[in-house]
Amino acid sequence: MGILLLFCMLSFAQSKPVTGKVTDQKDGSALPGVTVKIKNGTIGTVTASDGTYKLNVPAKGTTLVFSFVGYGDKEVIVGDQQVVNAELGTGNKELSEVVVVGYGTQSKREVTGAVSKIAAKEIENQPVVSFESAIQGKSPGVVIESGSGKVGQAMKIRVRGTSSVSANSQPLYVVDGMPVLSVSSSDINNDPTNPLADINPNDIESVEVLKDAAASAIYGARGSNGVILITTKKGKTGEKTRLELNAASSWGKPTRKRGFLNAQQYVDLLEEAATNDGRTAFATQDPDNPEYATVEEAIAAFKDGLENPDYGLFPYLTVGKDWHNPGVGTNWEDLSYRDVAHTNQIDLSATGGTEKTKFFVSGFYNNQEAIVINNKFQRYGGRLNLEHSATDKLSFGMNLNVSRTQLDRVANDNIFSTPGQLVAQSPLSPLYYEDGTINNDNVLYSNGLYDAQYNRDKQVTFRTLGNVFLNYRILPSLSFRSELGTDITNLTEDQFISRLASDAIGKGFAQSYFTQNVGLNTNNYFTFTPNLGTKHSLSTTIGMSYLQNDLSRTQVQGEYLPSDLVKTVSAAGSIVFGSSEVQRYTFLSYFLRANYTFNNKYIASLSISSDGSSRLGPNNRYGVFPAGSLGWIISEEDFLKENKTLNYLKLRASYGNTGNAEIGENRYLTLLETTAYPFLPGYRPSQMGNSNLKWEKTAQFDVGLEFGLFDNRLSGEVDYYNKQTSDLLLRANLPYSTGYEFQYLNVGKMENKGVEILLNSVNIDTRNFKWTTTLNLAYNKNRVKNLNGQIIESPAKEQRAVEGQPIGVFFMPKFVGVDPATGDALYQDSTGKGTTDYSNAPRVVVGKSNPDWTGGLTNTFTGYGFDLSAFFSFVQGNDIFNRAGQYQDNSFAGYDNQRSTILKRWQKPGDITDVPRLTQAFADGSSAAGLSSRWISDGSYVRLKALTLGYTLPKSVVNTLKISSLRVYVAGYNLWTITNFDGDPEVNSGASYSAAGEPDNIGGGIDYYTPAQARQITVGLNVKF
Amino acid sequence: MKIYNKYISAIMLVVAVATFSACNKKLDVTPGKDIVPDQIKTADDVRGVLMGAYTNLQNSSSLGERLILIPDLLAGNGELSFRGTFFNYGQYDSKTQDATSDIAEEIWRRSYFTINNINLAINKINLVPEDERPAILAEAKFIRGMIYFYLVNLYGKPYSAGNITTNLAVPLVTDAITDIADLPKGYQGRATVDAVYKQVVADLQDAATNLPEDNGSEGRANKYAAYAFLSRVYLAEAKYTEAVAMADSIIQSGAYTLNNAYDKAFNSVINTSEDIFAIQQTAQSNAGTSNNGLQTFYAGRGFSGRGDITVDLTVVPGFESGDARRTFTYLDRGINVGSGTYTTKWQRQYKVIPVVRYAEILLTRAEANLRAGTAVGAPPLEDVNGIRARSNASQLAAVTADQVADERVRELLFEGDKLWTFKRLKRNIGNKSYDDNKLVLPVPQREIDASQGKLTGQQNPGY
Repeated sequence: MGILLLFCMLSFAQSKPVTGKVTDQKDGSALPGVTVKIKNGTIGTVTASDGTYKLNVPAKGTTLVFSFVGYGDKEVIVGDQQVVNAELGTGNKELSEVVVVGYGTQSKREVTGAVSKIAAKEIENQPVVSFESAIQGKSPGVVIESGSGKVGQAMKIRVRGTSSVSANSQPLYVVDGMPVLSVSSSDINNDPTNPLADINPNDIESVEVLKDAAASAIYGARGSNGVILITTKKGKTGEKTRLELNAASSWGKPTRKRGFLNAQQYVDLLEEAATNDGRTAFATQDPDNPEYATVEEAIAAFKDGLENPDYGLFPYLTVGKDWHNPGVGTNWEDLSYRDVAHTNQIDLSATGGTEKTKFFVSGFYNNQEAIVINNKFQRYGGRLNLEHSATDKLSFGMNLNVSRTQLDRVANDNIFSTPGQLVAQSPLSPLYYEDGTINNDNVLYSNGLYDAQYNRDKQVTFRTLGNVFLNYRILPSLSFRSELGTDITNLTEDQFISRLASDAIGKGFAQSYFTQNVGLNTNNYFTFTPNLGTKHSLSTTIGMSYLQNDLSRTQVQGEYLPSDLVKTVSAAGSIVFGSSEVQRYTFLSYFLRANYTFNNKYIASLSISSDGSSRLGPNNRYGVFPAGSLGWIISEEDFLKENKTLNYLKLRASYGNTGNAEIGENRYLTLLETTAYPFLPGYRPSQMGNSNLKWEKTAQFDVGLEFGLFDNRLSGEVDYYNKQTSDLLLRANLPYSTGYEFQYLNVGKMENKGVEILLNSVNIDTRNFKWTTTLNLAYNKNRVKNLNGQIIESPAKEQRAVEGQPIGVFFMPKFVGVDPATGDALYQDSTGKGTTDYSNAPRVVVGKSNPDWTGGLTNTFTGYGFDLSAFFSFVQGNDIFNRAGQYQDNSFAGYDNQRSTILKRWQKPGDITDVPRLTQAFADGSSAAGLSSRWISDGSYVRLKALTLGYTLPKSVVNTLKISSLRVYVAGYNLWTITNFDGDPEVNSGASYSAAGEPDNIGGGIDYYTPAQARQITVGLNVKF
Repeated sequence: MKIYNKYISAIMLVVAVATFSACNKKLDVTPGKDIVPDQIKTADDVRGVLMGAYTNLQNSSSLGERLILIPDLLAGNGELSFRGTFFNYGQYDSKTQDATSDIAEEIWRRSYFTINNINLAINKINLVPEDERPAILAEAKFIRGMIYFYLVNLYGKPYSAGNITTNLAVPLVTDAITDIADLPKGYQGRATVDAVYKQVVADLQDAATNLPEDNGSEGRANKYAAYAFLSRVYLAEAKYTEAVAMADSIIQSGAYTLNNAYDKAFNSVINTSEDIFAIQQTAQSNAGTSNNGLQTFYAGRGFSGRGDITVDLTVVPGFESGDARRTFTYLDRGINVGSGTYTTKWQRQYKVIPVVRYAEILLTRAEANLRAGTAVGAPPLEDVNGIRARSNASQLAAVTADQVADERVRELLFEGDKLWTFKRLKRNIGNKSYDDNKLVLPVPQREIDASQGKLTGQQNPGY
């Protein structure tokens, strides 16, 4: 390649200079800063302050494209002219917009697939770890769940619903043309983390989401879940070098707390439970052999366990202090959060270009504390995007991101010592003893705050993400692009548990975990755009793509550390676990796409890709994924052309196939794993193969209408889609008597149907004031159509894929209320009647975790230097299961502190409530603690996600400061929420992976001691020099 | 200069075409850490497959924990109590487990994984030199026979309940399954108690014939391990003469002796002189440390356990206060227990788990001699008093078969024996009859669901 580049340097093409001036159509004033480019070429410049430009253009038939922010693009054929002037007018900006598609770009006007574009300003300067949080609720049909208030965690993202049962349903991420690692590679014993956090959101120019088959079929094999294309910022030809500084500080607190009993309530209610139990014991004792003479004696016996000064629970928890009037006691829920979580972020970038070279350079730093104690995220690094045009035929460059992220982690939600589980402690237990040390003995469970003093879990990731590329224009109508990229992740996770901490019980524990993931990608393609005259326009792309990913991982664990001085495995007296493994996977793809436009109003597009993957059986390794689409710009027809109201109307429809093979490696093979009985190593069968395993296929139909009204003051898009997935890659259960647990089969069908609506409106647009509104709405209906009778459950077995139901329905006994006569919990039995016998209540479908409607609403007001923007997001129709309810809302079946909702408990016959009576000893049968729909509630919400007020200094002030612009802003996030859910509705414990690291599409909508989202206030500054 | 452009175009086309075609082979990727069955080619490979089965035995759903703990929880009548937070174990303590019990499912699962592992070793036996085959086959059959013996007893009605040719036990799979074409062999209904017992006896007899007296490594089964399990099978079948013969063969060999003190039989890094078959554990290879493993549940927090199971030896009939076996306890706390008494048997992490101890063999000979009316080897009173003597229990003047059984319960407490002794002698456990439905595990609901109808209608009564 080096020699190739050298040759390239030597070549010069024949060209001629062209000059001209660009003016505003409205008043003829000169327009500086307009980009002037040769169509389909790499050469361009920008106009000077007087609107003039000078550019060397090739000798033969060339078209110049003039584009400027806020104006419509203009194309002028050069011909023999030496001087080419242009007038630009304010057309529909959105429609002259260029969107990034797979292996190229397209004018939004000519796009016939469903593509959503999210621009940089929606992503920049928010107190988020990764960009997905910033685009949540901003693109119709893209549902993003961030799960919890912990930072750096994996997120669940669904484009047009979940389209698989057992294969991963996260979209494919492509950064500057290169598919990147987006699946967690951290320790599988903790929550998955988010590899996309290695990218600085402020470096992103745009995010495009490819939603339908026409858009994503070029990524055929990996397109079923949608494709998210991330384009980073680039310099512009001839642009004066501009420096930009962004700095922001944020302060965060939890959005909502759940509310638990205070110490006095804790004492009173446990006493009530003892009284209830004493009464029950007296009433149900054997009359021939009575244990208690009076009911008072029975009650006293039960209270003794709580009150006895020697062994009673209360004196034990209060460390011997008087528990009769304990007041409020310790609020453990507050203690699991920081008082204030600070976030600081700063980045500095430079962008610019000459006629030949353009660049973007940035350096970034981000330090974000989670609202949860001990959880912190830090990122720093830099980016260089460079492109140089050696000749008018040849250009090359590179995009490179280097970053280091550090995540200080807390244990997953299912570990006693994780901060979220502190709420289980009794409010009677003091946090500190009188000598100032932390109380770790007089507590119900080992005190997570005690452990927090000593333990650490630090994950450090070095990420190098970049590609080099070369464009070569073989003929004016034929160009070639080659990209070679690499995505290198080096991740270490060092965990240390002190011998003083309760988790390691006198031994101490250290773990070193190292993962290296190296992705290598090359894309090579030709683009052919023949000149077919003014009526016809054709653009074709043909090429190939290859991805090779090598994972290597080692892990060592040791026990018995001498003291806390050395926190690594090297100090361990005994190595208890060690492993290392390597694994590769590959994808190979050949693709072709043709876009044809006739008369500027009839558009046809066709794409096809033929893809192979190492993940599938040799018999069915390749899949072919075709898609076709048609577009009709109706407003170009004579009958609408002069219409004053309707200025733009386009109808488009597409149909095509995409695939999915995200099932992990070697699923088609029968495997034996290695074993290590002491000094007797060996092999044992671990997986049943299926050499016929093939692609999961999704056929999608999409029809969309795009329109612009009233001078495009009101514009929008409406889409209907129907996605049918067949040959599901199903992790089908085998009877264990075969010697195996599962086998991947291609059986079953699933569908997603939905509607997406996007509206943009300019409500007021005067000289000094502008009000715009953007609304997006999406409805998705998912249904599992056929699973061949297989019962597929989530790892926790609370949720299922049930034929005829949406995926991930909650499947458990149905709670129907509390018997007003006895206070016992009632469950629905097989005849539909209420029963107090929990074991007699069959499991039934009692809710679903995926929403029906999702969307967002943004109102922006600008004027007099101020800008005010309010962004609401909403989710409707999903249910949330509070799995911790069995412990924190169980009518004191144990001693865990209870939610304040318990105050509504049943107390005497006739009470109408849905909280059963308090009982510790007689919970059997009435079993207030058995998993049931009692803890399922509606998870719908409307949330003021972001409210931003900014002020941009007037030009006069800015000029005296010798800077080009300065904006200061204050913003609030998650300031206000309406929901019926009595916690934070944006919750999902453990994201979308099973403990074994396998995708879990069935589980979801689970709250399990999960920390709430952060409510943040941000103050920031943006300066351009 | 123009000429270069032409060259560049040509080179690019060549490069592009070359990359296009060279990539196809890249799709063949071999597993990075696992092997495929076709890679098993040498005698060492086959031995490796056999050793894999030992790792399955060490698993917490096998002899590493549940094959011992779950029968003890079911047989519990006050001498132990599960006080941890795990609902699934609590169900067995209160004998309220149901068809969806993950423990019943996991035991079933691990057992059949072990069986297929063994069947694969047997299937590949031709790769082993001819003279080594009988011993390898015998060792494989020992493991298979032993696992089927646990399965038939856990999932079927006791042999002592009769109707053995109609009572259902578990599916009988004796062929290796490695390919889709083999799968139908794994879809089977439940075989009868009689059919499974016949398979157990055949496997263990073959093992007893061909296993060496010393199998080189103390973790591996030898001839006496096969005799020991055969003696258990014959006791269950009430074939006392055969049971006596098996036990006496072990005793006469002189290969094993009682430790001089009861506590020496437990918490040992390597097999003691009385371990006939035992599960090996090390810091790197064990049945679990935080949520699984016998020690994890039985040991208090002071010994890195969960401290979930407290014991009360005062309720065990016939325990004298000075009996070393009765005082083999300590005080500690658990995750969910403020203060409690714990058994010292499973106190230390990473120690050998005895599966068959020599003491049991002595008691088997004594009891079976008494029940059969035979007098093979030492007199029963001598066998029993020998065991009592080392624990400082008083010497008996005379002994009946039932008294030997009582002694057996005391000696082998918390070692997974009580349920089987009670079942074969038809003794009630608390208020539950020996053949109570809840003393038999459910066929896992998942197994029924996945069986394509083979197990439909074959759930155990009471579930």
